[in-house]
Amino acid sequence: MNRLRWLLSAALLVGAGVSQTTLAATGPYWQSKDAKDTESYVKVPMPAGIQVIETELEGPVFATAEGKTLYTWPLGNLRNGNAGDRRNSGVSTCDDTIYKETSGYMSPYPPGFLLPELETRKSCEQLWPAVLAPADAKPVGKWTVVKRKNGQSQWAFDGYPVYTSSLDKKAGDVFGGTNALSGGAQGIVRQPIGPPPDVPPELDVVPFRTGHMITTYKGFSVYASDADAPGKSNCTDKCLSDWDPVIAPQTAKTKGDWSVVERSPGIKQWAYRGQPLYTYVHEKKARAVTGSDNPGWHNVYTQRALPPPADFTVQDSRIGQVLADKDGKTIYIYQCNDDALDQQTCDHPDSPQVYRMAICGNFDPNVCNATFPYVKASPGAKADSSLWTVVTIDPKTGKWAKPGDAGAMQVWAYRGRPVYTYGEDLKPGDANGDNYGEFNGQRNGFRAYWVRDDYRNNNVGRTANDR
Amino acid sequence: MKSNAVRMMSVAGSLLAASVTVALSTASAQPVPLQEGGGALKDRRIGYVMTHKYWAVYETEGAKTECPQGFNDGPREQFKKLFDDGKKRSIVEAQLKREGEQWHPTTAPESFVFKEAQGNTSYGLNLDGKVGPEDFLSPEGEKGIDNQLYRVIGCIGHYRTMGTINHFENLFMRSYDDTRIVIELTEVDSLKNDDAVVVTTYRGSDGLLQDATGEGFIPGGTQRIDMRWGKEYVSKLKGKIVDGVLITEPADRVMLPWGVTFGTSGYHVFRGFELKLKLDPEAAEGLMAGFVDVKAFNHHLNTSWSTHHHSYGQLSSPSQYKAMMRLADGYPDPKTGKNTAISSAVKVKFTQVYVQQPEQKELVSKQ
Repeated sequence: MNRLRWLLSAALLVGAGVSQTTLAATGPYWQSKDAKDTESYVKVPMPAGIQVIETELEGPVFATAEGKTLYTWPLGNLRNGNAGDRRNSGVSTCDDTIYKETSGYMSPYPPGFLLPELETRKSCEQLWPAVLAPADAKPVGKWTVVKRKNGQSQWAFDGYPVYTSSLDKKAGDVFGGTNALSGGAQGIVRQPIGPPPDVPPELDVVPFRTGHMITTYKGFSVYASDADAPGKSNCTDKCLSDWDPVIAPQTAKTKGDWSVVERSPGIKQWAYRGQPLYTYVHEKKARAVTGSDNPGWHNVYTQRALPPPADFTVQDSRIGQVLADKDGKTIYIYQCNDDALDQQTCDHPDSPQVYRMAICGNFDPNVCNATFPYVKASPGAKADSSLWTVVTIDPKTGKWAKPGDAGAMQVWAYRGRPVYTYGEDLKPGDANGDNYGEFNGQRNGFRAYWVRDDYRNNNVGRTANDR
Repeated sequence: MKSNAVRMMSVAGSLLAASVTVALSTASAQPVPLQEGGGALKDRRIGYVMTHKYWAVYETEGAKTECPQGFNDGPREQFKKLFDDGKKRSIVEAQLKREGEQWHPTTAPESFVFKEAQGNTSYGLNLDGKVGPEDFLSPEGEKGIDNQLYRVIGCIGHYRTMGTINHFENLFMRSYDDTRIVIELTEVDSLKNDDAVVVTTYRGSDGLLQDATGEGFIPGGTQRIDMRWGKEYVSKLKGKIVDGVLITEPADRVMLPWGVTFGTSGYHVFRGFELKLKLDPEAAEGLMAGFVDVKAFNHHLNTSWSTHHHSYGQLSSPSQYKAMMRLADGYPDPKTGKNTAISSAVKVKFTQVYVQQPEQKELVSKQ
């Protein structure tokens, strides 16, 4: 019935010219697979055996000699307590303990309930192997050494012990965590670490799911114009009533991707990869993309992710645009962190599925698969982006399956986790499943894949200060 | 956007106009001519932006009349009653069981007693034009008031004056522009008496003009209408103004933005939507009412607030859902005949604003 309603609604909208459907891959959010843009970074001292590798979503990250991405687990506060590693404490709280009960960190539920799949539950250090340092290791730059409970030495960066993730299988994988704007009360998560981006002090880089956007240090987006020539601004007179040049200090010098355009004697403007930079004077919200609605003007990124599956679309929704499947149904990401002291993720088919099953179907897989269906992939489908893969799932259990297994489905996954649509989205652009689950979908639930949000500072779900 | 100087002039103009209005009102009960709205009523149109909204709950001192048995239990109290017996349980048997029930509620009976609001007085409007046995009497003595939602929420602390939804829904409405509700009255000849006006609902996209106290709102601001993402929030209502009170005819379906925080951007849909607002050139105040779909209301509650937040004001989402379904009084399901929607009312306040329609220009993201 919902399918019929969906088709009718979609047909009516298309007929009325209401739906704004764009094939995602051709839209403005991603860089083409042929683009070679990568983010420049500041070379920082590193211990032997640590390297910097380029990744599609996170940009440059620190990695082991084998290419495994490095993470830290900074202390954070939950409703009823803190979890994670305390900065400069000299110890790691991620050890060999196998926690059996909930911690009661997330109000309103008290502690002491048995965690699921205890017989196979792993310890924190099994999931997050420590990056060990030689016994005689000495501090290097921001790298220091902490002692583990078993006496081993472990590298720490910026005061936090450093780990790899058991979810990362090959060089360039960053499946253990992301710095892309997302989250909120999603538990105390692990963060990939890397060298700082090479940007002037007046500017900053903000990580999104679609790329690393350049903003001013106050968070306002910067733009480039097609009307400019490399190293030369053609925005004068009336143009300046809408666009403010990003002024560079007198001491600014050309370095790497950054150069300086002299607008008039003594007035310097920053340029990135030859493009003079501006802010859009009508923008009142940080991290906005509204300036790019003016023909010929674009937000500026150090690097962007590659396009999602070719038949995915972008749809207009109530506060901006969402990523959607080929039929225009909004894509949802499932987020989950358990309530144990080691804050294990439960958003992955490797982890217990009872959390998701409770939310999407009150433990009934059929209800679950109707409420938040998987996004089926066409046979042989492949995305340009390494972030999007086709995986085989047993929809009854939510766990991995093998191709050909009875009932197994080939579905799209983002960062190794299946994605979903929502059964009660009745027309393209509906995002009714957003915030569905514990703590508005952040803790154990579903969040719409927003690619543009004109109202909430493009937080696309990140509400760290809103708890 | 208006400059501060223009705003100041508008405010001054409005204040002057208000003074004139008061003087005219005192002097005569005759219809006030067009200029009584001063600069605010221009080209037969005037806009208002919502600054306050409260699900209408009629409260007596100490809640003795409407909640003689006290208030309802919330998630913490219910969880304790269910699971605080010393027995070791898994998270599936306790926390996730309760979350599952919350996200997939049923009308099956539960062990908790639900305390409905008592008495026959309630705020609201007569939505069906009838006077029935379940209807309320308004505090002003009007019969036939339809507000069965009040029966449900009247004894839930969350919705009462000191309740958290009451507080936070307003705080966040003021904080986030995507929740900006604007109405514009057009074809207005007089704000005192006019037998035919048109009311259009919109989403505005600008902040509110707060006064120096941070508590009050200043008329004369500008709201740019969001026709890029907010088209679904546009509805047209027919209405009239009688003795300074705007009364609209029921509109079949009106959708209003109702996001809160935590990255939420939800909305409410009212069926049979009506407005009854006392108007003046600077403000409007009164009721908006209609039938809310029970499932949609519950969905909004769960996706906008977490169980933790429900606990602040002893709001059990599964219990509330059962009560709403039990007391639903409108829009019966054509197949089952069971009512799917419940009559409701919201106390609202608006401040005058100038409505600015967007320029029709080419947008890259529309291509």
